[in-house]
Amino acid sequence: MDRLATWISRLFGAALLFLSGFVALETVLRKAFNTSLQGADELGGYILAFGAAAAFTVALIDRAHVRIDVLHRRFALSVQAWIDLASVLSLGLLGLFFLYVGWGVIADTIAYKSTAATPWRTPLIWPQAAWYGALALFAVAALWLSLRALMLVARGRIRQVAAEFNPKSAEEELSEELDQLHAR
Amino acid sequence: MTIIDILLGFTVMMGLLLIGLPVAVVMVALGVAGGMILYGPVLLGSMGPVLWGVSNESVLTAIPLFILLGELLLRSGMADRMYGALSLWLGRLPGGLLHTNIGSCALFAATSGSSVATAATVGTVALPALGERGYRPDRSLGSLAAGGTLGILIPPSVNLLVYGSLASVSVGQLFVAGVIPGLLLTALFMVFVTGESLWLRRRGLSDAARPEAEVPLEAKLRGLLHLIPAATVFAIVMGSIYLGIATPTESAALAVIVALLFVWREGRLSFAFLDTCFRQTAKTTGMILLIICAAFTLNVTLALGGITGTVSAWVAGLGLTPVALLFALMVFYLILGMFMDVLSMQVLTIPVVVPIVTAAGIDPVWFGIFVVLMSELGMITPPVGMNLYVVQGVRSDGGPFSDVVKGAIPYAVLMLAFTALLIFWPGLALWLPRSLY
Amino acid sequence: RVMGQPVATGLIQKTVEQPFFENFAEETGLDLTADYQPVDVTGIKDTEQLRILKGGLFDIVSLRLSQVSRDEPAILGLDLVGLNPDYATGKRTVEEFAPQVDARLQEKFNTKLLGVWPFGPQVLFCEPEIASLADLKGLKVRVYDQNLANFISLVGGTPVPLGFAEVQQSLARGVVDCAVTGPSSANSAGWPEVTSYMMPIAFQLAMNGYGINLDTWNKLSPEEQEKLQAAFDRLTDRIWTYSEELFVDAVSCNTGGETCETGTKYDLTLVEPSQADIDLIGTAVTDVSFPAWQETCDAVSPDCSASWMETVGMHYQF
Ligand code: NA
Ligand code: NA
Repeated sequence: MDRLATWISRLFGAALLFLSGFVALETVLRKAFNTSLQGADELGGYILAFGAAAAFTVALIDRAHVRIDVLHRRFALSVQAWIDLASVLSLGLLGLFFLYVGWGVIADTIAYKSTAATPWRTPLIWPQAAWYGALALFAVAALWLSLRALMLVARGRIRQVAAEFNPKSAEEELSEELDQLHAR
Repeated sequence: MTIIDILLGFTVMMGLLLIGLPVAVVMVALGVAGGMILYGPVLLGSMGPVLWGVSNESVLTAIPLFILLGELLLRSGMADRMYGALSLWLGRLPGGLLHTNIGSCALFAATSGSSVATAATVGTVALPALGERGYRPDRSLGSLAAGGTLGILIPPSVNLLVYGSLASVSVGQLFVAGVIPGLLLTALFMVFVTGESLWLRRRGLSDAARPEAEVPLEAKLRGLLHLIPAATVFAIVMGSIYLGIATPTESAALAVIVALLFVWREGRLSFAFLDTCFRQTAKTTGMILLIICAAFTLNVTLALGGITGTVSAWVAGLGLTPVALLFALMVFYLILGMFMDVLSMQVLTIPVVVPIVTAAGIDPVWFGIFVVLMSELGMITPPVGMNLYVVQGVRSDGGPFSDVVKGAIPYAVLMLAFTALLIFWPGLALWLPRSLY
Repeated sequence: RVMGQPVATGLIQKTVEQPFFENFAEETGLDLTADYQPVDVTGIKDTEQLRILKGGLFDIVSLRLSQVSRDEPAILGLDLVGLNPDYATGKRTVEEFAPQVDARLQEKFNTKLLGVWPFGPQVLFCEPEIASLADLKGLKVRVYDQNLANFISLVGGTPVPLGFAEVQQSLARGVVDCAVTGPSSANSAGWPEVTSYMMPIAFQLAMNGYGINLDTWNKLSPEEQEKLQAAFDRLTDRIWTYSEELFVDAVSCNTGGETCETGTKYDLTLVEPSQADIDLIGTAVTDVSFPAWQETCDAVSPDCSASWMETVGMHYQF
């Protein structure tokens, strides 16, 4: 899972750097040489659509999806475990929901052969397929993790559930930050 | 939809949030449930286009770019060296290194999109030096926690971007509007540190065991070199937006490229370095964008169901003056900010509150600054105050959490007072963006 | 349920469209009320309008034709660059080609087209001095879509796509030299403060239309359908007339003319288009905008441009 997150992040980061270069070039050319590459906006939109959907999975693996833990951490450990299970499962269901409503978008785009009204006239199915694939990855990853949480709860390994599925507390997040600070 | 139904919905939502379910899930679930009750399954057909519409919104592309920018500057160690440089300049003022804390936070705030990263970095560099020189823990910790919140007011600011996208307000204008309040709040914090130090000295209580030694001017000037990266990045971002050369997304892209050049010049550019930056950027982006997608899904139901309208009408029926309305909102955000993290607070309130305040004749750009100030406040109010935990976590002397809270209280009071000032003198935020036209 | 034009689009939305739907029963003579919501208030993007209308979440949508052409390029055939130099020609185009658009919408989007109307001529504003379209050579011109971008490139200008909200500032800072929009929108957005010349030559008429979900339509009895269609005919006629009045008044406002009722008075220099300019825009149809559109449109349905040639295309020499 960690490897998966690393590779998604690399892809995402590289896409952002490429976009930065392209947009910066476009901006400078426009200002200095009166020419316009065009399409920077459009490219940014597609990279965000795919990148954000892919990043859902990274946030999932890094337990970064926002949960309010003010009461949660005061509950008994077994109650916490059940809520954690419900949380990860609910993210999986959210993923399925995205796939369900997203399918309508894909189906329409195919039926209408929709193309962006832009210089590139991008057939929308390309960026939308990438976006949909990333959403599917998120749904599968969340359901896979729910399965793991369910097995842990069923076997009564409550502590491990807490260790793997609790919302990351400020302390944990900080200690990671500090480790990285000391490493440089 | 009556106001009672809406309150019922709100209560259910708060309950689900407080037991610790993911905020995004709760929002989507409520949006879908509400929409099904009001409209039936046709609503679901509209959710897909909305979801694609948000994901494909080129304005939001600025969010991952600014996050990446902050990561590049932070993890290359440029922020650490800024602290040293500033301490040469500010260390001998009454209050000494505490000014450096606030000054570094303000400077770093300008380049980083996040307050937690700001507080953690500056705190790690600052606290050993502060302890060594015998500063009172509560004063040190308070200045760090509060200084760290400046990150979301002084642009670039991810929080202002989120506000802009949810309230359909120009992000460029919001960034420009954040500059003067950000600088004034920084100055206000520094005035407070100076005043407190002078007062302590008069009462015979020293504020620092050992004052800083005089530094030769040459060393001071050499120190300025370390401020160049941050200053350049800030100048690029704000300059290109202010001069109208670039949109916020374009300015972010330019700044990322320049920051990358700085990192390369420092000899820090490596695959491991980029890996860390990318992972953090992806994680934070995923977290923020999922919440934004959820917020837009919920908004469809809120708008179509006339919920926003009902709440607006109800508030309008109270017959509050704009000033009274804003003070009521201040109390509302103060309380909400105690228990909620800042991003959740923003996405849940903005879609409903912004129509109310614009109906009352309040400028939505100004209100963006107001909301971000209230979010800053939320970061240093217990029990859920991200910056308090961060600063407590960074200290190594093992003192009690109450030190941090005690030290942060005066700054919280200052923020409230500053917000009140902004209410009576909206020009503080609006003068600069207005001067653009 | 009705989705309207964005609030920010100005007077037509505020003084004609919104009142019509707020007094829906009275206007149509039917026992129906409309829950009217401007598209920007709903948080739904205007590019998604046709999909939303097909889904049935809204019964009637005030369609922004240029934006929704993403899903149905045939729509653009109503308003190619240069096709409608004035209101009379625009009306003729709509009469000839709207039935084809309607047929496509019925077939693909379960939507009936109730009427088409224009925001009004999209004209040119410039800061540097211009005397004719030929002077656009080497200048940066704000465009709002690809159709217009192609034309600007044809005359040697650099098209810069910008959102409406950014244009005023961009003109002030010299990011662009010229910009194209309707004179009334330009007036309310303060463009005359940052430009000096205005050439009232219509690149496009900025067409919009009303679509109704067919399920909703078919639930009505034939008499009700007749009444509804008649009411929308009256509404679109009203908008055609109002749009033209607004255009005349706004041109007058911008150029310091005698009358100015709908805006702020400015003193732009009016650059009357020469016959050469009008001919140049006319050739845009045959040289740029039709060929580009033909390619996109026929890719979606092979007979798309043929039906245009049989009607609107009759007036041109290809
Ligand atoms: Na910042
Ligand atoms: Na708080």
